[in-house]
This record gives sequence, C-alpha cells and structure tokens, in this order.
Amino acid sequence: MAYIGNFPAEKYTTFSKQTFTPDGSTTSFTLDFSVANENDLELFVNNVRQEPGSGKAYTASGTTLTMSEAPGSSDTMYAVFQGKAVQTVTPASNSVTSAMIVDNAITSSKIASGAIANQSAYRNLIINGDMSIAQRGTSFALTASGATYTLDRMRHITTNLGAFTASQSTDVPTGQGFANSYKIDCTTADASPYATDSMLIQIRLEGQNIQHLKKGTSSAESLTLSFWVKSNKTGTYIAELFDRDNTRTISKAYTIDSANTWEKKTITYEGDTTGTLDNDNNASLDVHFWFGAGSDYTSGTLSTVWTTNVSANRLVGISNLADDTANELYITGIQLEVGTSASDFEFLPYDVNFSRCARYFYYLGVGNAQCVWLTGYASGSDWMVANYNFPTIMRTNSSLTQVGTWSYGNNSGSIGFSRQSPTATTFGFLSSGAGQQYAYNPSDGGVQFDAEL
Amino acid sequence: MINTVEKIYVYGEWTETYKVTHNNNKVWFVPHNEDNRHYQEILEWVAEGNTITDNGGGE
Repeated sequence: MAYIGNFPAEKYTTFSKQTFTPDGSTTSFTLDFSVANENDLELFVNNVRQEPGSGKAYTASGTTLTMSEAPGSSDTMYAVFQGKAVQTVTPASNSVTSAMIVDNAITSSKIASGAIANQSAYRNLIINGDMSIAQRGTSFALTASGATYTLDRMRHITTNLGAFTASQSTDVPTGQGFANSYKIDCTTADASPYATDSMLIQIRLEGQNIQHLKKGTSSAESLTLSFWVKSNKTGTYIAELFDRDNTRTISKAYTIDSANTWEKKTITYEGDTTGTLDNDNNASLDVHFWFGAGSDYTSGTLSTVWTTNVSANRLVGISNLADDTANELYITGIQLEVGTSASDFEFLPYDVNFSRCARYFYYLGVGNAQCVWLTGYASGSDWMVANYNFPTIMRTNSSLTQVGTWSYGNNSGSIGFSRQSPTATTFGFLSSGAGQQYAYNPSDGGVQFDAEL
Repeated sequence: MINTVEKIYVYGEWTETYKVTHNNNKVWFVPHNEDNRHYQEILEWVAEGNTITDNGGGE
C-alpha cells in the first residue's frame, strides 16, 4: 500500500471494538487504546451513534473516555476505534540493526560513561605485559626463598613452596597476536605447604606513573585487570592489588576452568577512596598473581574490597600449583587499566616496549645484541674513564655489574669504579700504563644496569 | 647474599659508590641512593651487624 510520510511504527491492523458496562453513574471510562481525541472513535449507546466533542455527548483523550452524562445500567455501549494516537514504540529486543542507524549519527553524549573500554595510548599500566622483553635471559631457576627478577618487570617471589623454574615461552593463545608468555614449571612438589609458604609473580608500579588513579580520594578510579592464562592445574587462583604506601590490599579470585586451555580472565577492582599513593619514583602499587600459599594467607575470609592488609584474608581458597611436578602455568597479555571494562591488549612497538623496560633494567651488551667497547686515555698508571649515556632515563641511579668474559688493553681489568646518574654512567678502569685503553666484550656479556623497583 | 661492601674512592674522593661482593663472587657497583634496591640491601646488611669497609681513599 502506497503512502506518504514516515513509515508506520506498526503494520496496519483491523479496526478494534471495545464494549463498556455502564452503571448509571460512571462518566469516565478507560479505553483499550490511546487516542488523540474523541474523533478517533465512534461511540454507540443503544446502537445510536453519539456526537463527539466538547459540550456534546463525549470527549476522549489518551485512554480516557468522558461522557457528558452517565449512560444507564441497562444501556448498551460500545466504541469502534477509527484511529489510534501515535505511540512511542519500543523496538523489540535485538531488533535494531546497524543498517537502521544513520552513518555518523551516534554522538559521544549518547554513550554512557565507562561503556566503551579505554582506548587511550599507554592505558596499560603493566609494562611488558606481553612478556616479549627478556633482557636478563629466558629461563630462570627461582630461588627457594626470595625474589628473582625474571622477564623484564616481572619479579617472582617464592617462599619455600616447592621449587619452580620460570621462562619465556612461545606457547600463546591462538589468534590474539601474542608471541610470548610467562611459563612457570614446578620442579619440586610441595603438596602440603607450611603456613608461611607462598609463590607469586609481582609487578611493581611506580608511584608517579599512577597518580591518575586518584587513589585515596572520592574520585578514585576503578581498575580492570585482564590476562590470558593456561594450566593443567585447574582451580582457583588470586590476583591481588597491594598498595605499598598504605599497606592496603584487595584480592579477587579467578578460576582456571579447563585444563591446558588458554582462558581470558577479566577482573575489576573498585577504586579505593582511602590511602593516597606517593608521587615519586618508588613502588606504590603492586599487582600480585598468587599461585599457592600456606594457611597464614588462607585461614580467614577473602578480602574482596580494599582494606588494611590482613594476611589471613589475602588468598582464601587458592589452589596449589606446587602440588605436583607435572604442574605448569602460562600467563600473558597482562593489562591493568582504568575503568570497569577491559579493552583489547595494548600492543606497543618493540622499541617503545623495550625503552619502558630499560627504565628499570638495561643490559649493555650481548643481552641486547651489542658488542661492548669502552675506550679512553690514561696518562700513566691512572684511571681510564669511559662514559655511556643510557637509551632512556632510568628510574634512579642504577647499580651495575660486569657480565661475561672481557678483554682489556693497557689496564688492570674489570671496572674499578662507576658513578651514576639516571641518564648516564661513568666507568673507571685502572690503567697499567700511558696511552689508549680499552675494555672489550665481544660475545658473551656486557654491563647490566639495575634500577628496578 | 652479600659478602663484603667497600666504599670506592678515586683520587681520594668518595665516588658515592659501593663495591658489593656477593658470596658467589658476583660484584655490583651500587650507588649511595636510597631509591636503589641494592643500596637498600646494603642497609639491611649493615643493620644485621655487618660493617662497610672504608679505607678513606687510600686505594
């Protein structure tokens, strides 16, 4: 049927009839359909059509029919709807398709705050969350009790819970763009942890980099942690945020549901209105991935809201990755971002990712495919001094150590002193005679600079 | 595990650096800076009753 105007909200339907039951006193009746006015319906009393209009037999508006006089209880009364008021029609669920929306018609004001995941650059507060940077090496035997710095920015802490190796793996979730994951492999089982035992990956965040979280204020931001994980050992594990400046924690449990299957986990932590974070270059907030612990951490009630740290409430219900040497676990794509939803993992160019890691640890040498030559001049049995500028500003004055086999020319060998700033270092070698001096590592080492949190 | 800690002097002037030798003979040069984690380890080592070697620049 051809027509002019907007497409109707509903298809055309047959006229509708409504019968009323007058009682001799009622003058107001409720209509089955809303009408614009009394002309949209024909009203009959005892089969005699009534005249519509104000001061006439009846008026109507919306779903209210008003008679000028109350029909008698023995009268018959019915209405035939000739028209119906234009309704506000709510489309059926899942009925509006993309094609029904005009291009570029959706404005930002129509989108609820927080409904769209954060897409800003550097939204991921975790550096090296894709586990691609491994300056210290690719495989580590974890110390039985203490911290081992493994892949860049990853600090693995074990406290007498079995024994593990950590390594950079190429086992990754299919189709997600990752090249590496962090693998934990149990090498000595401990099925009955002592009360103080534990094992976790710790990622420390620098205070001045997370001031925008507004922690400790009424505007504190929620945080969402997302990551991919896979293990043969299914069960419950804990991802915790730890406020180092105020000793406050929040723990969230997640479950590895299927053995040997990559699963993406998303966890949201509400903002903490208590405890501001120091605005400096020290560690203020930790992300902890716990994989087993003794009763000192598990005997209470899991603290799923921010609270002052109580050890017994941190890891309640956690599984034990150490209970079998067959156990292994992989994790990658770790992203912590402001908001209540997880965006896609933020992949950074390699050089950017590396540079961010090098703020905390930098390996000048074969660890980064460089041949190290340090040269200088000495006038006699004196100090040869060489300077080196770091590729990025380091977090603080770094420690340094020589690694590998070096060759020396005209000096006593090995670094005799160093002096540091966050942007450069000075090496000193004690010369054995006048002239050009050098220290050289061609193949198996270099100098490591450590400014880790 | 730290074995020895020695203040490093050059031309009689302290470089504000420590030479730290660990039990496995690994040597680190550590700045006198409380933000540095190795310096924090030195402080803990001293708190345990150990002493930093200070030759006063007589290298």
